[in-house]
Amino acid sequence: MGERSFAEDVKQLGYGEGEILRGEGILAITKALLQSGVSYVGGYPGAPVSYLIDVLADANDPLLKPLGIYFEQSGSEAAAAALLGASINYPMRGAVTWKSVVGTNVASDALSHVASAGVIGGSVIVIGEDYGEGASILQERTHSTALKSSIPLLDPRNSLDSFARFVGEGFGLSEASNEPVFFSIRIRACHMRGTLKCHDNVRPAISMRSPLAAPSFSIDRINLPPFTYQMEAQKFEKRLPAAKRYIVERGLNEHFRGDEDHVGIVMQGGLWNTTLRGLHVLGLADTRGRTPIPLMVLNAIHPLVPEELIEFLRGKQRVFVVEEGMPNYIERELKALAHEARLPVEIQGKELLSPHGEYVPHLVIGGLRRFVTSAGVKSQSTVAIEDRYRALTAHREKVGDVLPEPVAKRPPSFCTGCPERPVFSALKILRQREPEIGDTHVAADIGCSTFSTQAPFNVGNSVLGYGMGLASSSAVSPLFGKRTISVMGDGGFWHNGLTNGVANAMYNRQDSVLVILDNFYAAATGQHHVPSTGKNARNEPVPMTIPDALRGLGVKWIRTVNSYRIAEVIGTMREALTTRVPGLKVVIAKNECMLERQRRERPRLRREAAAGRQVVQPRFGVDPDVCTGDHSCMRLNGCPSLTLRESPDPLRDDPIAHVDDTCVGCGVCGEVAHAAVLCPSFYEVKVITNPTWWTRLVDRLRGAVIRRLAAVGT
Amino acid sequence: MTDAALLSLLVPAVGGQGGGVLLDWIVDAALIDGYPVHGTSIPGVAQRTGSTTYYVELSGERNPAADDTPIFSLYPVPGALDVLLAPEFLEVGRSIELGFPSPGRTTIIASTHRLYSIHEKIVTGRGIFPIEKLHAAARAFSKRLIAFDALALAREHGTEANAVLLGALAGSGVLPLRGDAYREAIQAKGVQVEANLRGFEAGLAVAAGSAAGPGEGSRGVGTPLATDPSPGPAADPAAVTRPDVERTAAGFPEGLRAIVREALGRLIDYQDRAYAEKYLGRLRPFVEGGDLELARLVARHLAVWMTYEDAVRVAQLKTRASRFERIRRDKGVGAGAIVVTDYLKPDLDEIYGVLPHRLVAPFARWAERRWPHGRPTLGQHVKTTTVSGFFRVWMLTWLRPLRPVSYRAREEHARMDRWLAAVARCATWDTALACEVARAAQLVKGYGDVRRRMTAHFDRLLEAVLGAAEREAAAGGRFEASRSLASRYRTLVLQGPDSEAAAAALAAETASQP
Repeated sequence: MGERSFAEDVKQLGYGEGEILRGEGILAITKALLQSGVSYVGGYPGAPVSYLIDVLADANDPLLKPLGIYFEQSGSEAAAAALLGASINYPMRGAVTWKSVVGTNVASDALSHVASAGVIGGSVIVIGEDYGEGASILQERTHSTALKSSIPLLDPRNSLDSFARFVGEGFGLSEASNEPVFFSIRIRACHMRGTLKCHDNVRPAISMRSPLAAPSFSIDRINLPPFTYQMEAQKFEKRLPAAKRYIVERGLNEHFRGDEDHVGIVMQGGLWNTTLRGLHVLGLADTRGRTPIPLMVLNAIHPLVPEELIEFLRGKQRVFVVEEGMPNYIERELKALAHEARLPVEIQGKELLSPHGEYVPHLVIGGLRRFVTSAGVKSQSTVAIEDRYRALTAHREKVGDVLPEPVAKRPPSFCTGCPERPVFSALKILRQREPEIGDTHVAADIGCSTFSTQAPFNVGNSVLGYGMGLASSSAVSPLFGKRTISVMGDGGFWHNGLTNGVANAMYNRQDSVLVILDNFYAAATGQHHVPSTGKNARNEPVPMTIPDALRGLGVKWIRTVNSYRIAEVIGTMREALTTRVPGLKVVIAKNECMLERQRRERPRLRREAAAGRQVVQPRFGVDPDVCTGDHSCMRLNGCPSLTLRESPDPLRDDPIAHVDDTCVGCGVCGEVAHAAVLCPSFYEVKVITNPTWWTRLVDRLRGAVIRRLAAVGT
Repeated sequence: MTDAALLSLLVPAVGGQGGGVLLDWIVDAALIDGYPVHGTSIPGVAQRTGSTTYYVELSGERNPAADDTPIFSLYPVPGALDVLLAPEFLEVGRSIELGFPSPGRTTIIASTHRLYSIHEKIVTGRGIFPIEKLHAAARAFSKRLIAFDALALAREHGTEANAVLLGALAGSGVLPLRGDAYREAIQAKGVQVEANLRGFEAGLAVAAGSAAGPGEGSRGVGTPLATDPSPGPAADPAAVTRPDVERTAAGFPEGLRAIVREALGRLIDYQDRAYAEKYLGRLRPFVEGGDLELARLVARHLAVWMTYEDAVRVAQLKTRASRFERIRRDKGVGAGAIVVTDYLKPDLDEIYGVLPHRLVAPFARWAERRWPHGRPTLGQHVKTTTVSGFFRVWMLTWLRPLRPVSYRAREEHARMDRWLAAVARCATWDTALACEVARAAQLVKGYGDVRRRMTAHFDRLLEAVLGAAEREAAAGGRFEASRSLASRYRTLVLQGPDSEAAAAALAAETASQP
């Protein structure tokens, strides 16, 4: 499973004291979990933390089992958060991971309960902040969840050593405060390559090899009144104060002093690199991060420690806060503290920076420049800072001279040969050719299938959450004049769609059509197994199927179609949209994710060909003299391998269609041309390498006859 | 403050291009040579064919003390970039838009090949971002530019563009790493080592051979679009060199000869010599009119239109011996065998279109009323490399003698005549207007429903423009409104179906004006 093989990384996870691990940030975090003596690890895959699940799945047999560590890929983030329930009653360490903020939202019920009951075993939640460039989800930050549930939140400086240290500190902090701890990591930091000096892995005291013998019962850990009132009080009287003590004692936050002691900068640890680079380009720091400006680096951003911050603010005239996302809790807390302590310091943050969005260098540099030039520093003149800033940015004013029109956008889309894409070709063709049924409300879902909302399909009127497609059409459907369509992938179906979607629709007798795109994996996160894959993440066989689950909920109208056969998909959709059968109609469009299939098939075919055996590979093509260049096929297909080339015809104006050599021969271009009655330009060619003598003979005989006929031709 | 040099390199890529492997090679090469380095990426959904970036920073100082390594940034800083290593050319433009490369500092190493974005593909006309603009921008925003078609070079060496670009990076000498460090990195990675090393050496040679002056170093301008290597499609090569065709073409003004030569070959191949004569007869008044631009437009569009793709023409093109040779060449079949399956789905119009007009006209009129949108079709998958499959398609070519009296011919030629008459009428008023009306023929393309839709737009354009021009003529105007209407209508329709309603509205609005 997964997009890559992790054999090398699994080996590195086994490294002992002093060995040097080379890899990405997320690998260092994974290694640090094993060094912390966890009894269990789980999570739900999603960028940027899927890798943690991938590599542990591969490490299960060689590494985790011998240590007795339980590993699971949980059914959803809620299930992952509930894993932490193990640490409420038993003194064992555990860690879970997911993509945030969406995963945190899904997890929040279990999370609130764990945070309320409190833990006695260290519990760390690695949250991959899918925020800013490259993000695939709505833009919120996790800070507010940490605040409302009193979950300490670590946002450490970006280096592999720092990540490993703070994972360990996270467990310590959790045990000191009896609260689970968030360990936040950003997209780029997850994929940052570096080195880590390793320690030995630690065998957990409680494990599958030395399991618990007796249950532990303590009524004050049950989330029911009156104990919930005690728990609430404990959070603020005991747990958070304990967390603050731990933060101070262990020096989690870093105070760098400097000569310019009238000013200072407070930042999240995760923004350290960008802020220091900003100071460097303005001439206020060297490349090693030495700067005359005092810095307060908050590697723990919740809870904040007032004494630490007041000490930093004391004696300063101006302080700048670099805090990503809104609301700006840190900045507001600092202002409140300064006010209460009657400190005459001016604190600025969002007013000098963008109020929202990822803090990329040009935003931070702009903010720093405004801050230091208005505050005044001894080590650089304002003129010199302005000169440096201008040198960095002057060229940007001239972009419009060479590129007056914006360059074409390039949204992500379905891969070449994707089995989901043809379903949206079918829906678009149905919308165009039979608008009376096909031009209806379509509720889209999360996953690769969300790309249907992009060009060229623009199919999907709303996207509401993972597995929520069908549920999101519950009110639209009865209030819409036509039967509506909902779409979800197999990943979404098992994550949330089965209960909140199908069960809810059946219970409320919704009359609509659900399309389930079954490509055997959660493809968007990197071909992770889902319950209907046939095997779980540990590669143990699992017999669950989508039709069985649907039938179990009482769905009667279920059709399974081959997603590449567009006419069949259109026909089935037409039937679903027009049948007199009331209730939920489910169309399962099925075929394996092409990325995964090619990853398996390509090396096999290469081996066969190298061994001299006959190999047949289908490819598609366009006859350049038959194509008139109207590009209708592109508007209905969208395959990356279906592209443009200059017409060989000197009399024509427009480029023509062309299938490039990345084609995998899925046949959709021919199917689209057929189903939408486009043109006769497409052909399939089966390329036969190492033909057998029989194939060669037939080929030669046919060729001879055809050449003869062609020569007689007109 | 003493300061160590830092070097930064950004790879703006398209998901699926192997940017991750390229990043790994560079990071590993730096580690091999003892330079502190750091690389990062934003895979996620952009991996699925969207724009994505990879970023590397390395210290300019080798083997520094452990506590003396730089603080690396996870993000490129706009204006502080040393190398832009672009595996696709449009992404260079995007990086420039975002302010990353700067003329004072950045070396741009880019492959000039294009992976067209979906927004460039779905345009009915030409939606491709002009490559000259990308070249000009790359030149203006680099200290040094090394631009060449790395994909073509990669294919020559049986590898991918990323290996060739790694070679070009090594050859440029812009990073302090040894060539052998990159080679070792490729070997250590263990992915297609032989092929990648071949690609690496090829890229290295290109960059090492390129001039190093500011703004120089471009090796050609790359290929704006992959061109089809086969000869003109319809033209039977023999016809082109026929002395009488040559003689006829020579009788036309210099600027028209190439078009006429191409057109005659194609028309003879399509029908016969008489048909070519008919073309010449239609073209001559415009040549005699004296405006070369107008004559060229009419000559070009008329030749394309008169060789409209009916079932007979498609059968002719699909059953040429040269077609199967072309397929073998295009798909790199070599010594292997091929089986070709054609996806044919003529609709009712295309089927009765080849039959004599007298025979089918009443039926056609009924069918058009019966199925106003989307006619019944006859879908079939024909294996044209089998004798029976080939024969079925090839038989259709024997209907060619019937074509002049076919239903489709009557329809098409009537419309052509209306177009020519409109162009001629406009030419009496204003040559520029006549040219715009001549260009309207660009809309007549496609098959089946698409062609019916495009033809309807053509008809509406002609009617609206003629109406507007009549009014302008009566008012003694300068035909600005009519010219603009013709041009805007055509442009809108060629943008794609989403703009077609706007085109129709434009025509309606013009018609309602006094």
